Amino acid sequence: MDIVTVSFIALGVLVFMLSFGVPLPFCFGGALMVMVFVGDAFMEGTMVWGYSQLANPVLLCIPLFVFAGTLMSESGIAASLLKFVNLFVGRIRGGLGVVATVSCSLIGAISGSGLTGVAATGPILIPEMASKGYPRGYATALVANSSILGLLIPPSVTMIIYGWVTDTSILACFLATMGPGLLITFNFSVVNMVLARKFPLELDLPKPVQESVKEGVSLTARAIPALIMPLIILGGIYGGIMTPTEAAAVAVIYSLPVGILVYKGLTPKTFIRAAKSSATAVGAIMVMIVFSLLLSQIFVMEDVPQALVEGVFKITQNKFLLLVLINFLLFFVGMIVNDITSIILLAPLLLPLMEAIGVSPVQFAAIMGVNTAMGGVTPPYASILYLSMRIGKVEFSEVIRPAMLLIIFGYVPVVFLTSWWPNLSLFFPSLFGY
Amino acid sequence: MDRFFRIALAILISVVALIEFYQVIMRYIFEVPVMGLDEILVYPTLWLYFMGSVNACREDTQIKANVLDIFLKTDRARLKVRIVADVMSLVVSGWLTYWAWDYFGYALKIWKESPTLYIPTFYAECAFFIGLVLMTLFVGIHLVKNLRKLTTDLPSAAEGV
Repeated sequence: MDIVTVSFIALGVLVFMLSFGVPLPFCFGGALMVMVFVGDAFMEGTMVWGYSQLANPVLLCIPLFVFAGTLMSESGIAASLLKFVNLFVGRIRGGLGVVATVSCSLIGAISGSGLTGVAATGPILIPEMASKGYPRGYATALVANSSILGLLIPPSVTMIIYGWVTDTSILACFLATMGPGLLITFNFSVVNMVLARKFPLELDLPKPVQESVKEGVSLTARAIPALIMPLIILGGIYGGIMTPTEAAAVAVIYSLPVGILVYKGLTPKTFIRAAKSSATAVGAIMVMIVFSLLLSQIFVMEDVPQALVEGVFKITQNKFLLLVLINFLLFFVGMIVNDITSIILLAPLLLPLMEAIGVSPVQFAAIMGVNTAMGGVTPPYASILYLSMRIGKVEFSEVIRPAMLLIIFGYVPVVFLTSWWPNLSLFFPSLFGY
Repeated sequence: MDRFFRIALAILISVVALIEFYQVIMRYIFEVPVMGLDEILVYPTLWLYFMGSVNACREDTQIKANVLDIFLKTDRARLKVRIVADVMSLVVSGWLTYWAWDYFGYALKIWKESPTLYIPTFYAECAFFIGLVLMTLFVGIHLVKNLRKLTTDLPSAAEGV
């Protein structure tokens, strides 16, 4: 049996186990077993290689960004950011929906993951939106969709992984998804304003100018310590002052006095709870990463990417058609596995093909980033959507229609633009010389 | 058990953040290079990854897709699927533990030391094997629990599993 066939069987086993609810690290282990027992691949030495990968300091920014995001959520920093954004758009029709979208972008500039956005804004925004007349299912769908911006606005855990597995500059990858991320923020805001016209919304009565100014000054002053957090991370990284790992560590330490003394949400109890939940999430992610990397490494050792490129080129060499196929493939894979898995498995396999048709690794980072992020809200594997449903206390049937409307009108156009308009993903990296 | 993981994980992740922060302060504020800090960092980091994953296995919060659950109507059917998943997990986890044991023996035999501080890397490398043994153990415990639920034949047995 040729190695490409065995690889497809291995991927089939992975999907089969995944559908049964086997934890992801073991799904990769199952696929590895197929490669070893059917494909005669060698396991000797792979654990040593896996250790060297896990010990890589680049990966250390993942636990630290996850920890910073959780502390931000527990400490009240996120709530303060939310109130600050509400100051500008809160009183216009549909403004609260815009607050959800923009707040998730801002939180994305701290946490690097989509789940943090839901956890930080969902408990505050969903009940607030429902009380103002938004349908609960819509509010939940909007918060879930907006939270995926955490994966596109830098820093982003998925882009760290992409840069690492493809040996592309992580800073360039961060910037590659920024253009699409900002465009999606805009699209969601517009789609929300259009949809909000149909809702029986209760708008806040305009306040006297003096009172508004006073409130604005007070909220801005209170939000300053929270706004410094994204400034530390992005300013530190792009000012060339710190590495992403160091910036994440500074963000963690900074959130302690701010959370304890300023926003008063952080107590010894909430700190330990945040630390434990972050460490558990990190453990689940990192061990999954090591086993998916072992599988990916075996694919590379067996020359599967080259065989795949040759196979695809036999079907077509048309760039437009290939990009359509790649987008469908990424979308489909994103529906059944999580974003990190998609990137580890597919980035090394597809990058040679992309380079062969003239797509740069940085643009491909953005293409993978937008497609895999969308996977977080497209069932059956829709972790962000499911978490939002739990927080919003709504049924799947209530949330799926508005979620799909937002995806079709807000997200899909950007997915296509990212593929066919390179400047959308290459503009920000080019400003920094990438 | 919960208390142990809560405290151990909180200490591990805090130590990792503190070491990295100390490095930033020393490097950028005091402009003093700290030799070997990256080497030290590997130890709590590796233990953090594996103990975090062990806790995810213990709490049954590992990343899963559960696609079949969407199509199943009864709790009993979901419980049966869960048992099949537990069996598959146990087999794969056992196989991975075997390879981690192989690596454990290799690391013990080679007894490599870190380049600057000469700390044996075995203390980080053994997290692989110990972590996988504990993960296999917790997968086994979940399997036994689910089998018991199935034999008691309660209709609501699979709820929350």
